[in-house]
Amino acid sequence: MTVIINPEGVADPQASPARTTRATLRRNFWRGVWRVLRRKPSRMAGVVIIVLFALMGIAGPLLYPDNLPRDDNALYAPPSLAHPFGTDFEGTDVLALVVTGARYVLLTGLATAAITVAVGTAIGLFAGFRRGRWDTVLMRLTDMNLAIPGLPLLLVLSTVWKFEGPLEMGLVLGLLGWGGIARAVRSQTLSLRERGFIEAARGLGLPTRHIIGRELLPGMAPYIAMNMLIAVTGAVYAQVGLFFLGVLPFESNNWGVMLNLAVFNGGALTTPAALPYLLAPLLAILLLTLGIVLIVDAMDEIFNPRLREE
Amino acid sequence: MKRLAAIAALAAIATATACGSTGTTDTATAGGVYTTIDGSKQINASAPINPFNPVGSVFSGYNGMALAWPKNDPIDPNQYYPAIASSWTVSPDQREVVIHLQPNARWSDGEPVTSEDVRVSIGLAYTQGGTAYALDPKAAGAAADIQVVDGKTIRITQGANRSSMFLSNLLSTVVVPAHVFGRLLPGDFWSTLKLAQTGSGQAAERAKSRITGLAEKVIGFAPPHDVSAGPFVLERVNPGAALLRRNPYFYNSRAIAPDKVKVLNYTGNEQIWNYLISGRLDNAPFTSVPTAVMERIQEARGSRVVRGYSPVSTAMAFNQAHKPYDNAHVRRALAYLIDRAQVTRIASPEGGTPAATTSGIHAKAARAWLGDGFDRLDPYRVDPAKAAAELRAAGMVLRGGKWAMPDGKPWKVQIHVPASFSDWVSAAKSISSQLVDHGIDATVVTAADYTLYLGELADGKYDVGFWLIGLGPSPYNIFQRLFGQANGWQMFGGRLRHVAPGTEGNWMGGPQVVDAGADGRVDPGELTARLNFASPQEQKQIVGVLARIANQQVPVIQLWDYVNTQFVNTSRYTAFPPDDDESLRLSSGVWMQLGMIKKRQA
Repeated sequence: MTVIINPEGVADPQASPARTTRATLRRNFWRGVWRVLRRKPSRMAGVVIIVLFALMGIAGPLLYPDNLPRDDNALYAPPSLAHPFGTDFEGTDVLALVVTGARYVLLTGLATAAITVAVGTAIGLFAGFRRGRWDTVLMRLTDMNLAIPGLPLLLVLSTVWKFEGPLEMGLVLGLLGWGGIARAVRSQTLSLRERGFIEAARGLGLPTRHIIGRELLPGMAPYIAMNMLIAVTGAVYAQVGLFFLGVLPFESNNWGVMLNLAVFNGGALTTPAALPYLLAPLLAILLLTLGIVLIVDAMDEIFNPRLREE
Repeated sequence: MKRLAAIAALAAIATATACGSTGTTDTATAGGVYTTIDGSKQINASAPINPFNPVGSVFSGYNGMALAWPKNDPIDPNQYYPAIASSWTVSPDQREVVIHLQPNARWSDGEPVTSEDVRVSIGLAYTQGGTAYALDPKAAGAAADIQVVDGKTIRITQGANRSSMFLSNLLSTVVVPAHVFGRLLPGDFWSTLKLAQTGSGQAAERAKSRITGLAEKVIGFAPPHDVSAGPFVLERVNPGAALLRRNPYFYNSRAIAPDKVKVLNYTGNEQIWNYLISGRLDNAPFTSVPTAVMERIQEARGSRVVRGYSPVSTAMAFNQAHKPYDNAHVRRALAYLIDRAQVTRIASPEGGTPAATTSGIHAKAARAWLGDGFDRLDPYRVDPAKAAAELRAAGMVLRGGKWAMPDGKPWKVQIHVPASFSDWVSAAKSISSQLVDHGIDATVVTAADYTLYLGELADGKYDVGFWLIGLGPSPYNIFQRLFGQANGWQMFGGRLRHVAPGTEGNWMGGPQVVDAGADGRVDPGELTARLNFASPQEQKQIVGVLARIANQQVPVIQLWDYVNTQFVNTSRYTAFPPDDDESLRLSSGVWMQLGMIKKRQA
């Protein structure tokens, strides 16, 4: 019996031409991604960092017991092999706190980014494409959203709402942060809707849903994706900041709570004893931001052919 | 807080503005400039120079004077150092107090301090309300009559409903100059006051309204410049600091060493730590300090720590209207599971000592009140076996290593603390970890700020929350934290009543009558109220009963007793009060009035 393997690039005569084209495009896209990533080691580093954080978020809490062990005789212990970032105020390993705390931070970031992008893109696209009264109403709504002072509002909200889960936190941050994306997407939509291919689509009588979903959106996808990543960093800063200020519920492994306790309880800004406790979550935030920035750099080149350095 | 220790909250420490220098050159002469902070309030450059204003630029002991200064006595609230009042006599039945003013006391503009100044100050105090100056004549310890005997003597008589705190409340009266503040009182003020106190019907109500209606006017009054009877006068104030210069007319001016006093502002404890590490402060009142920071502070040249008694304890309180905390066995079980020494080591290593037991009283005062009886209280040493027995006695069930409610539903202990008190937060976390170790599902829940925390606590929203207790030295003040308004006993118009849990601020929800063993069935709120007017001997007996009830019923678990940790720097000034001195909780300005603090000789 002979097994015939379809060699790469040779079209299957049974396959539909559209499916073949899409598969080829997808293959070429991922080859392009790989090429762009390899070109600068920093971009690979970015991917590694984000993968590490993703693993921390998914599997981190599984590496430790539900109740992290404490050493009653090692409060604010200095870094050692057993505790690479020392221990906290009750003798818990700081690294374990950072690892187990990653899930909340990342989930909040992702939820915020998803809501920011979904709401912002939908409103921007709709307002830009429909123009007229819809545009006026939606853009005034956007202006109101942009004018809301986020931090003071969150401080007030925190007195009546406990923000008990990352999704609740993400929902609030997302609903406060979609204004910028909505405005940018509307501008892009206004520009694209006058282009020839949109005119042609209209001339062909294609439905609005098809024009927005298949013609306009793909052109803006890279921009939206980059905004989504940047929204993650914004959300991380916002929620860590709120926890640092002490206005959100206490979770000992939350990075913001760790910063708060390191500064106000451990005197980390005054003496070096609690410095590792302060530095560990700071380093985590720094690395996460760095990873996102490096990936955004790669995405920029992937989606913008003019930046490619072939 | 912007983290402040819980004790700081008690003293209503506010932290807000930035700190800096006065922005001008300070001409230090022979006496030099004494630098400190005010532990009771922030500096507000736009606030009036008015002691009735909560943020006013009046600093107690410097340009703010009272009739007398309270001593840090563990049990006697009527121990005072002379200030504007040089001496006082109390009638045996405590009904009448005659106050003699310092013969040489003068205001900083040269005017003498007279009985009229005290009378006007009392009149202004009536507009603000208060224990001794309550408009309701039936209120315990309210002054009924104020009589100027002569230019330097004034007689004040207590109303029918007497209180052992009357003298103490009188002597705490802040004195302001009549020729500056007197215009705030309308011409018919004293007749209106008489009508409010002794009249009846609508006329009396109208009179009361007129007097309380003056409160805002008094608080908002801004004298053009400071007129002080204290050792210093306010020279200028900006958001970074207040500068005070010596008052040449102060009655004991020779005792005052510094020429000027600079009161620095701060945004939080961290700023005070940095001031202390850099050796800028000659004295800082109680400040919560981590061990590592304490070591840095002590390395500063001339730095010294003075420790003394502080009549405050931190406790974990229960809402007994919520299950399972209505059951004393559950409360006792938790007391047996909490390692108070470890909690104190984590939360307040330098500013607290682990509570020896739960008595409702700071250990030092408890020993003075109870004597050997203190040792007979259950110390609640960590004992998981006893805890398990207590939980079983309460009907709680152990399933899969976790304690559950009697009906098998999960038991979740939520310990509430204000997020701004990081010592409480870390204590609560330590307790929750210890309880989890023993199979009790415990978590910490923070409230965004202290005001919100107190509001939600009073609304009965919490099962378990942190609470300050033992606020001595008055035994009534000590036990009203356990068996007072927060636990349903309300004193109104001289009559005590008990309100239902969950109403009128009764969030502790304890029973009105408890079984006190050998003491029989006791109404602890009624006993507490009796402390107000009982003789010293009766007080001792009542305190014994109440301490035993607190120990057995465990409405709270006493965690640690505060230590008044003061910081002084002897590089520029010497003769600070020693450890455990009775003046330790007073400001440096009072220390100077008492003849302490001398310029260090080169």
